[in-house]
Amino acid sequence: MHPGLEWYLSLSAVLFVIGLIGVLTRRNVLVIFMSVEMMLNAVNISFIAFGRALSSATGQVFALFVITIAAAEAAVGLAIVIALARRQDTVDVGQIDTLRE
Amino acid sequence: MSAAIFFGIFAALAVLTSLLVVAQRNPTHSALFLVLSFLNVACIYVLLGADFVAVTQVIVYTGAVLVLFLFAIMLVRMEDLPEMYGGHPVQRFVGPVLGVALFLEILAVILSTVPLGAAGTFTPDAIAAVGGNVQAIGRSLYSDFLVPFEISSLVLLVGAIGAIVLAKPDESAARDRETSSLFTISLAHPSESTVASESPYTMLQEREILLRQEHEMDEAGEALRR
Repeated sequence: MHPGLEWYLSLSAVLFVIGLIGVLTRRNVLVIFMSVEMMLNAVNISFIAFGRALSSATGQVFALFVITIAAAEAAVGLAIVIALARRQDTVDVGQIDTLRE
Repeated sequence: MSAAIFFGIFAALAVLTSLLVVAQRNPTHSALFLVLSFLNVACIYVLLGADFVAVTQVIVYTGAVLVLFLFAIMLVRMEDLPEMYGGHPVQRFVGPVLGVALFLEILAVILSTVPLGAAGTFTPDAIAAVGGNVQAIGRSLYSDFLVPFEISSLVLLVGAIGAIVLAKPDESAARDRETSSLFTISLAHPSESTVASESPYTMLQEREILLRQEHEMDEAGEALRR
Protein backbone atom coordinates (compact mmCIF):
# COMPACT_ATOMS: atom_id res chain seq x y z
CA MET A 1 0.00 0.00 0.00
CA HIS A 2 1.95 2.99 1.20
CA PRO A 3 5.69 2.65 0.58
CA GLY A 4 7.54 1.81 3.77
CA LEU A 5 10.16 3.75 5.65
CA GLU A 6 13.00 1.91 3.88
CA TRP A 7 11.94 3.27 0.50
CA TYR A 8 11.99 6.86 1.67
CA LEU A 9 15.33 6.35 3.41
CA SER A 10 16.76 4.76 0.25
CA LEU A 11 15.57 7.68 -1.87
CA SER A 12 17.13 10.04 0.66
CA ALA A 13 20.40 8.09 0.50
CA VAL A 14 20.42 8.17 -3.31
CA LEU A 15 19.85 11.92 -3.43
CA PHE A 16 22.47 12.51 -0.72
CA VAL A 17 25.05 10.44 -2.58
CA ILE A 18 24.34 12.23 -5.86
CA GLY A 19 24.90 15.53 -4.06
CA LEU A 20 28.09 14.19 -2.51
CA ILE A 21 29.41 13.10 -5.90
CA GLY A 22 28.60 16.57 -7.22
CA VAL A 23 30.54 18.20 -4.39
CA LEU A 24 33.52 15.91 -4.92
CA THR A 25 33.77 16.01 -8.71
CA ARG A 26 32.62 19.46 -9.82
CA ARG A 27 34.95 22.46 -9.73
CA ASN A 28 32.45 25.27 -10.19
CA VAL A 29 31.60 26.79 -6.81
CA LEU A 30 28.01 27.43 -7.87
CA VAL A 31 27.37 23.81 -8.83
CA ILE A 32 28.99 22.67 -5.58
CA PHE A 33 26.52 24.91 -3.75
CA MET A 34 23.62 23.38 -5.65
CA SER A 35 24.85 19.92 -4.70
CA VAL A 36 25.01 20.94 -1.04
CA GLU A 37 21.41 22.16 -1.23
CA MET A 38 20.45 18.79 -2.74
CA MET A 39 22.12 16.98 0.16
CA LEU A 40 20.21 19.12 2.67
CA ASN A 41 17.00 18.21 0.83
CA ALA A 42 17.84 14.52 1.05
CA VAL A 43 18.33 14.85 4.79
CA ASN A 44 14.93 16.56 5.00
CA ILE A 45 13.30 13.53 3.38
CA SER A 46 14.89 11.35 6.06
CA PHE A 47 13.69 13.66 8.84
CA ILE A 48 10.10 13.69 7.61
CA ALA A 49 10.02 9.94 6.91
CA PHE A 50 11.26 9.19 10.42
CA GLY A 51 8.80 11.69 11.86
CA ARG A 52 6.00 9.87 10.11
CA ALA A 53 7.22 6.44 11.15
CA LEU A 54 7.45 7.55 14.79
CA SER A 55 4.29 9.73 14.66
CA SER A 56 6.30 12.67 15.89
CA ALA A 57 6.08 16.32 14.87
CA THR A 58 9.79 16.80 15.48
CA GLY A 59 10.73 15.50 12.04
CA GLN A 60 8.72 18.13 10.20
CA VAL A 61 9.81 20.92 12.56
CA PHE A 62 13.45 19.99 12.02
CA ALA A 63 12.92 19.96 8.26
CA LEU A 64 11.64 23.53 8.60
CA PHE A 65 14.75 24.51 10.56
CA VAL A 66 16.95 22.89 7.93
CA ILE A 67 15.20 24.89 5.20
CA THR A 68 15.69 28.10 7.21
CA ILE A 69 19.39 27.52 7.76
CA ALA A 70 19.82 26.46 4.12
CA ALA A 71 18.32 29.77 2.99
CA ALA A 72 20.71 31.76 5.21
CA GLU A 73 23.60 29.60 4.05
CA ALA A 74 22.71 30.14 0.39
CA ALA A 75 22.57 33.93 0.88
CA VAL A 76 25.96 34.11 2.61
CA GLY A 77 27.56 31.55 0.31
CA LEU A 78 26.45 33.26 -2.87
CA ALA A 79 27.65 36.60 -1.49
CA ILE A 80 31.05 34.97 -0.94
CA VAL A 81 30.97 33.60 -4.51
CA ILE A 82 30.22 37.05 -5.91
CA ALA A 83 32.96 38.67 -3.83
CA LEU A 84 35.33 35.93 -4.99
CA ALA A 85 34.41 36.39 -8.64
CA ARG A 86 34.95 40.12 -8.27
CA ARG A 87 38.36 39.92 -6.60
CA GLN A 88 39.85 36.80 -8.15
CA ASP A 89 37.93 36.57 -11.42
CA THR A 90 37.25 32.86 -11.00
CA VAL A 91 34.68 30.48 -9.55
CA ASP A 92 36.98 27.47 -9.87
CA VAL A 93 37.72 25.95 -6.48
CA GLY A 94 41.01 24.62 -7.85
CA GLN A 95 42.30 28.12 -8.50
CA ILE A 96 41.38 29.62 -5.15
CA ASP A 97 44.70 28.97 -3.43
CA THR A 98 45.87 32.42 -2.36
CA LEU A 99 46.45 31.25 1.20
CA ARG A 100 48.78 28.49 0.02
CA GLU A 101 51.35 30.80 -1.51
CA MET B 1 -1.40 1.23 -4.18
CA SER B 2 -1.68 4.62 -5.76
CA ALA B 3 0.69 6.11 -3.19
CA ALA B 4 3.35 3.59 -4.19
CA ILE B 5 2.92 4.45 -7.88
CA PHE B 6 3.21 8.17 -7.18
CA PHE B 7 6.21 7.57 -4.96
CA GLY B 8 7.90 5.68 -7.80
CA ILE B 9 7.22 8.45 -10.30
CA PHE B 10 8.37 11.29 -8.05
CA ALA B 11 11.39 9.41 -6.76
CA ALA B 12 12.53 8.47 -10.26
CA LEU B 13 12.11 12.05 -11.47
CA ALA B 14 13.92 13.45 -8.43
CA VAL B 15 16.87 11.11 -8.92
CA LEU B 16 17.00 11.76 -12.67
CA THR B 17 16.93 15.54 -12.33
CA SER B 18 19.48 15.45 -9.51
CA LEU B 19 21.81 13.42 -11.71
CA LEU B 20 21.33 16.00 -14.46
CA VAL B 21 22.17 18.81 -12.02
CA VAL B 22 25.53 17.19 -11.36
CA ALA B 23 26.15 16.14 -14.96
CA GLN B 24 25.24 19.34 -16.79
CA ARG B 25 28.13 21.43 -18.07
CA ASN B 26 26.29 24.74 -18.04
CA PRO B 27 25.48 25.94 -14.48
CA THR B 28 22.32 27.65 -15.70
CA HIS B 29 20.96 24.29 -16.85
CA SER B 30 22.04 22.80 -13.53
CA ALA B 31 20.02 25.44 -11.67
CA LEU B 32 16.92 24.79 -13.79
CA PHE B 33 17.16 21.03 -13.23
CA LEU B 34 17.57 21.78 -9.54
CA VAL B 35 14.14 23.47 -9.67
CA LEU B 36 12.63 20.26 -11.03
CA SER B 37 14.43 18.20 -8.41
CA PHE B 38 13.14 20.40 -5.58
CA LEU B 39 9.59 20.27 -6.92
CA ASN B 40 9.69 16.48 -7.03
CA VAL B 41 11.04 16.35 -3.49
CA ALA B 42 8.16 18.64 -2.45
CA CYS B 43 5.78 16.07 -3.96
CA ILE B 44 7.49 13.39 -1.87
CA TYR B 45 6.85 15.57 1.22
CA VAL B 46 3.17 15.72 0.30
CA LEU B 47 3.12 11.92 0.04
CA LEU B 48 4.60 11.81 3.55
CA GLY B 49 1.82 14.04 4.86
CA ALA B 50 4.04 17.07 5.43
CA ASP B 51 1.97 19.66 3.56
CA PHE B 52 3.41 22.72 5.26
CA VAL B 53 7.01 21.67 4.67
CA ALA B 54 6.17 20.97 1.02
CA VAL B 55 4.75 24.47 0.52
CA THR B 56 7.72 26.00 2.36
CA GLN B 57 10.03 24.01 0.13
CA VAL B 58 8.39 25.38 -3.01
CA ILE B 59 8.37 28.97 -1.73
CA VAL B 60 11.83 29.08 -0.18
CA TYR B 61 13.83 26.80 -2.45
CA THR B 62 12.32 27.14 -5.89
CA GLY B 63 11.16 30.68 -5.21
CA ALA B 64 13.98 32.37 -3.36
CA VAL B 65 17.13 30.28 -3.31
CA LEU B 66 17.02 29.35 -7.00
CA VAL B 67 16.47 32.97 -8.03
CA LEU B 68 19.50 33.81 -5.92
CA PHE B 69 21.46 31.10 -7.71
CA LEU B 70 20.44 32.38 -11.13
CA PHE B 71 21.43 35.93 -10.13
CA ALA B 72 24.82 34.69 -8.97
CA ILE B 73 25.32 32.77 -12.23
CA MET B 74 24.47 35.86 -14.24
CA LEU B 75 26.79 38.05 -12.16
CA VAL B 76 29.73 35.71 -12.60
CA ARG B 77 31.27 36.02 -16.03
CA MET B 78 30.58 32.96 -18.14
CA GLU B 79 33.92 32.77 -19.93
CA ASP B 80 35.89 31.89 -16.83
CA LEU B 81 33.74 28.95 -15.88
CA PRO B 82 36.05 26.14 -14.91
CA GLU B 83 34.39 23.13 -16.56
CA MET B 84 35.51 24.23 -19.99
CA TYR B 85 39.09 23.04 -19.65
CA GLY B 86 38.64 19.61 -18.16
CA GLY B 87 38.79 18.42 -14.60
CA HIS B 88 41.13 16.46 -12.41
CA PRO B 89 40.94 12.82 -13.54
CA VAL B 90 41.68 11.73 -9.97
CA GLN B 91 38.73 13.73 -8.66
CA ARG B 92 36.43 12.37 -11.33
CA PHE B 93 37.37 8.82 -10.41
CA VAL B 94 37.52 9.06 -6.61
CA GLY B 95 34.27 11.03 -6.19
CA PRO B 96 31.87 8.41 -7.59
CA VAL B 97 33.77 5.58 -5.88
CA LEU B 98 33.46 7.24 -2.48
CA GLY B 99 29.82 8.05 -3.20
CA VAL B 100 28.92 4.47 -4.10
CA ALA B 101 30.78 3.21 -1.02
CA LEU B 102 28.82 5.60 1.20
CA PHE B 103 25.56 4.55 -0.46
CA LEU B 104 26.26 0.87 0.20
CA GLU B 105 27.01 1.65 3.84
CA ILE B 106 23.76 3.60 4.24
CA LEU B 107 21.86 0.82 2.50
CA ALA B 108 23.32 -1.74 4.89
CA VAL B 109 22.15 0.37 7.83
CA ILE B 110 18.68 0.83 6.33
CA LEU B 111 18.20 -2.86 5.59
CA SER B 112 19.37 -4.00 9.01
CA THR B 113 16.16 -3.87 11.02
CA VAL B 114 16.67 -1.32 13.74
CA PRO B 115 13.80 -1.16 16.23
CA LEU B 116 12.24 2.30 16.27
CA GLY B 117 11.41 4.10 19.49
CA ALA B 118 7.96 4.44 20.99
CA ALA B 119 5.40 6.10 18.72
CA GLY B 120 4.58 9.70 19.57
CA THR B 121 1.33 11.60 19.61
CA PHE B 122 1.55 13.09 16.10
CA THR B 123 -0.96 10.63 14.64
CA PRO B 124 -3.33 11.51 11.78
CA ASP B 125 -6.23 11.57 14.24
CA ALA B 126 -4.43 14.03 16.51
CA ILE B 127 -3.57 16.24 13.52
CA ALA B 128 -7.19 16.22 12.38
CA ALA B 129 -8.37 17.06 15.93
CA VAL B 130 -6.11 20.15 16.03
CA GLY B 131 -7.35 21.32 12.63
CA GLY B 132 -4.72 20.25 10.13
CA ASN B 133 -1.04 19.91 9.43
CA VAL B 134 -0.24 23.63 9.61
CA GLN B 135 -1.95 24.03 12.98
CA ALA B 136 -0.21 20.98 14.41
CA ILE B 137 3.20 22.16 13.20
CA GLY B 138 2.53 25.65 14.53
CA ARG B 139 1.61 24.34 17.97
CA SER B 140 4.76 22.23 18.11
CA LEU B 141 6.90 25.10 16.81
CA TYR B 142 5.63 27.66 19.33
CA SER B 143 5.63 25.39 22.37
CA ASP B 144 8.39 22.77 22.25
CA PHE B 145 10.68 24.57 19.82
CA LEU B 146 10.21 28.19 20.82
CA VAL B 147 13.87 28.93 21.63
CA PRO B 148 15.29 27.27 18.47
CA PHE B 149 12.65 29.15 16.48
CA GLU B 150 13.82 32.50 17.86
CA ILE B 151 17.45 31.54 17.35
CA SER B 152 16.74 30.65 13.72
CA SER B 153 15.26 34.10 13.20
CA LEU B 154 18.49 35.57 14.58
CA VAL B 155 20.46 33.36 12.20
CA LEU B 156 18.43 34.70 9.28
CA LEU B 157 19.10 38.29 10.39
CA VAL B 158 22.82 37.67 10.70
CA GLY B 159 22.81 35.89 7.34
CA ALA B 160 21.12 38.84 5.64
CA ILE B 161 23.56 41.34 7.16
CA GLY B 162 26.50 39.12 6.34
CA ALA B 163 25.39 38.71 2.73
CA ILE B 164 25.11 42.48 2.31
CA VAL B 165 28.50 43.10 3.88
CA LEU B 166 30.18 40.39 1.81
CA ALA B 167 28.65 41.29 -1.54
CA LYS B 168 29.20 45.03 -1.16
CA PRO B 169 31.55 46.38 -3.83
CA ASP B 170 34.62 46.94 -1.75
CA GLU B 171 37.51 49.36 -1.92
CA SER B 172 39.47 46.98 0.25
CA ALA B 173 41.82 46.00 -2.57
CA ALA B 174 42.85 49.63 -3.05
CA ARG B 175 42.97 50.10 0.71
CA ASP B 176 45.19 47.05 1.11
CA ARG B 177 47.58 48.43 -1.47
CA GLU B 178 47.74 51.80 0.29
CA THR B 179 48.35 50.35 3.73
CA SER B 180 50.93 47.90 2.48
CA SER B 181 52.80 50.73 0.74
CA LEU B 182 52.59 52.83 3.91
CA PHE B 183 53.61 50.15 6.38
CA THR B 184 56.16 48.22 4.36
CA ILE B 185 59.70 49.01 5.41
CA SER B 186 61.66 48.29 2.30
CA LEU B 187 65.40 48.03 2.78
CA ALA B 188 66.26 46.73 -0.64
CA HIS B 189 64.50 49.36 -2.69
CA PRO B 190 64.63 52.70 -0.90
CA SER B 191 63.14 54.43 -3.91
CA GLU B 192 59.82 52.58 -3.42
CA SER B 193 59.37 53.74 0.17
CA THR B 194 59.19 57.32 -1.01
CA VAL B 195 56.14 56.57 -3.13
CA ALA B 196 53.79 56.57 -0.15
CA SER B 197 55.15 59.77 1.33
CA GLU B 198 54.93 61.39 -2.05
CA SER B 199 51.18 61.04 -2.43
CA PRO B 200 50.09 63.68 0.16
CA TYR B 201 52.68 65.97 -1.30
CA THR B 202 51.36 65.57 -4.86
CA MET B 203 47.84 66.13 -3.56
CA LEU B 204 48.95 69.41 -2.00
CA GLN B 205 50.66 70.38 -5.23
CA GLU B 206 47.53 69.68 -7.24
CA ARG B 207 45.49 71.76 -4.88
CA GLU B 208 47.93 74.60 -5.15
CA ILE B 209 47.75 74.44 -8.93
CA LEU B 210 43.96 74.47 -8.81
CA LEU B 211 43.94 77.45 -6.48
CA ARG B 212 46.38 79.26 -8.74
CA GLN B 213 44.20 78.55 -11.79
CA GLU B 214 41.17 79.87 -9.97
CA HIS B 215 43.06 82.96 -9.00
CA GLU B 216 44.14 83.51 -12.59
CA MET B 217 40.60 83.09 -13.84
CA ASP B 218 39.41 85.63 -11.33
CA GLU B 219 42.05 88.04 -12.46
CA ALA B 220 41.10 87.46 -16.09
CA GLY B 221 37.45 88.11 -15.25
CA GLU B 222 38.35 91.33 -13.51
CA ALA B 223 40.50 92.39 -16.47
CA LEU B 224 37.59 91.73 -18.85
CA ARG B 225 35.24 93.77 -16.68
CA ARG B 226 37.67 96.65 -16.82
